[in-house]
Amino acid sequence: MKDNQNPISPHLQIYRWHISSLLSITHRIAGVVNLLALILMFFWLLTFSLSESSYELFLLAINSFFGKFILIGFTWSMSFHIFSGIRHLAWDMGYGFEIKTANISGILVILSSLVITIIFWLLGRGLI
Amino acid sequence: MNETRKWMLHRVSAIIVAPLFVWFYFSLISLSEKNYQEAIYFFKNPLFKILAIALFFIGFFHAKISLSEIFEDYIHNKKIKNAANLLALLLSIIIPVITLILLIYKI
Repeated sequence: MKDNQNPISPHLQIYRWHISSLLSITHRIAGVVNLLALILMFFWLLTFSLSESSYELFLLAINSFFGKFILIGFTWSMSFHIFSGIRHLAWDMGYGFEIKTANISGILVILSSLVITIIFWLLGRGLI
Repeated sequence: MNETRKWMLHRVSAIIVAPLFVWFYFSLISLSEKNYQEAIYFFKNPLFKILAIALFFIGFFHAKISLSEIFEDYIHNKKIKNAANLLALLLSIIIPVITLILLIYKI
């Protein structure tokens, strides 16, 4: 059988958006973004172990406007992936499959990830 | 690895890695406005080292399983899929091992 005749997974562009499908694909994308965040944390350790000057350069990069933008984005993708992951674990245990429940839990995931991102930064920067 | 076991390990690794990831990322944010000298105390703490090593090994293990799932769904050419899986596997071994070496011998 030729490779290109294999069945393929649902096309994102074709279906009408629902909370369920939106959160499903965002969970995956956030997971990949978290991998990038982990790689950034690897560079944090790497530059620290290389020399003081390379560490200062790393700090300069993450404290730039673009760097902060990335760091805040990573915070959101981390929060989202964890909340959405908890939702997945609940499903794995057999809870929350009703459409109404799944929609409510989906909205909760979005809202709590945004709230936690803000709290995380305020705490991390010693503002609260 | 058998699929049921992979499924289970994927969930278990997620539960372990989530708090480690939050803690480590929080440390990065809190130290991002402090200089090298202030960071030394933090990095040299043995507990930090152990948890960081756990984060990198388990985190990349979780990522490897997840990436293979994504490749399975979106890459239809078998050769490219195998190459992508191999790359992900190498990445998920090399980065944690380098982290381990850095934390034990260099920091």
